[in-house]
Amino acid sequence: MPGRTRPIDKFATAVGRCSKEGSSYGKCIMADYNNVTKDKCITEFLKLKDCYLVRLTIITSPSQKKN
Amino acid sequence: MNFLSVRAFIPPLTRRTLPLRTTRRYAVQAAGAPTIEIFSQQHKWMQKERAAKDVEASRGVDYLRDEVASRLCERLLDINRHFPHVLDLGANACNLARQLTLPSVDSPDAGPRSNRVGKITAADSSETLLFRDADLPFNREVDINREVLTTSELLPYEANTFDAVLSSLSMHWINDLPSVLAQANNVLKPDSPFIGVMMGGDSLFELRTSLQLAELERRGGVATHTSPLADVRDIGGLLQRAGFNLLTVDVDDIVVDYPDSFALMKDLQAMGESNAVMSREKGAIQRDVLLAAEGIYRELHGNEDGTLPATFRLIYMIGWKPSPKQAKPLERGTGMFSIKDFLEKDKKGDGESK
Repeated sequence: MPGRTRPIDKFATAVGRCSKEGSSYGKCIMADYNNVTKDKCITEFLKLKDCYLVRLTIITSPSQKKN
Repeated sequence: MNFLSVRAFIPPLTRRTLPLRTTRRYAVQAAGAPTIEIFSQQHKWMQKERAAKDVEASRGVDYLRDEVASRLCERLLDINRHFPHVLDLGANACNLARQLTLPSVDSPDAGPRSNRVGKITAADSSETLLFRDADLPFNREVDINREVLTTSELLPYEANTFDAVLSSLSMHWINDLPSVLAQANNVLKPDSPFIGVMMGGDSLFELRTSLQLAELERRGGVATHTSPLADVRDIGGLLQRAGFNLLTVDVDDIVVDYPDSFALMKDLQAMGESNAVMSREKGAIQRDVLLAAEGIYRELHGNEDGTLPATFRLIYMIGWKPSPKQAKPLERGTGMFSIKDFLEKDKKGDGESK
């Protein structure tokens, strides 16, 4: 299909619009990156994921819904 | 029934996935310890074929290979002789041959660099990638002969064939490096150079660390997403073990800035340089991990202008096949004057003249 957007591109665009949440997640890891354990930054990550999921629905939904 | 007789009739893709042990092999210098298979050659071959099928995308990511090939050509031209027959081992898309047709960066008026090179044999295991640029104009400017290898670890050439063996950015996928280097030594004529460059050391350490931290936090463990690479310190030993003389090893860092980590991963995929480690996790990387890694990459390594740097550490190596006529290093203690005095005198002289 010509002009088809690859899933990774959609993913990248959606993530790119969540830079604030991404950076707060990164800061949480950076605070002590020698001692990272599972779910250490779960709250920040969930915020990031929520933001990403919202952005993704906006990108993938048909254009009339966006307007 | 003899298995060998059937092999020719099996379709190429299936043939690749059959074990090679059943076929005859050239006798090569045994490397000593049995080889451990770290990289899946079949998987690597498939990645390269797939990447090269998308010609546009594949040409779009030639920036790294072209730059490295150009630097390698400069090293070849530093040797003041004519090379009638050169082997380009692991040629990818013949980037080396193409760079040879361009003039040198230092002396743009001297004509193409290929003046000093006769025939080039470009050998690679991936046919699609090798023939990707076969109909571009540069092919007419240089005598190039493309040969598809059955595996990238066996060189089907007679001993003492080539006046130089070059290898640009393909040796980091080879499992048995000592054996391949020994074969390269074998196909060289006496007193001829092997000049190679491979990815090594801390290449892509930014991506590596971000993925590790992301996986540790998301999944509580680490999987292999980037290859283990040879270190600068290992190269000298490897070349020596393969029987090379007069070794030179040097390191060059190329830092490329990408808009985000996905652009880097997409480019690596288009180069055919995706993960092919045997112990890799099968299937795609989890979205959660990618999401987390992007945030960490940006925070830990990101530039101020919002781009993400990726470091490629290139290890250049030069070794010479021994020959009785070759110049030998002088014995220890036979030096007539101190190099320190000589260099300092030079510096002082420069200062005075200014």
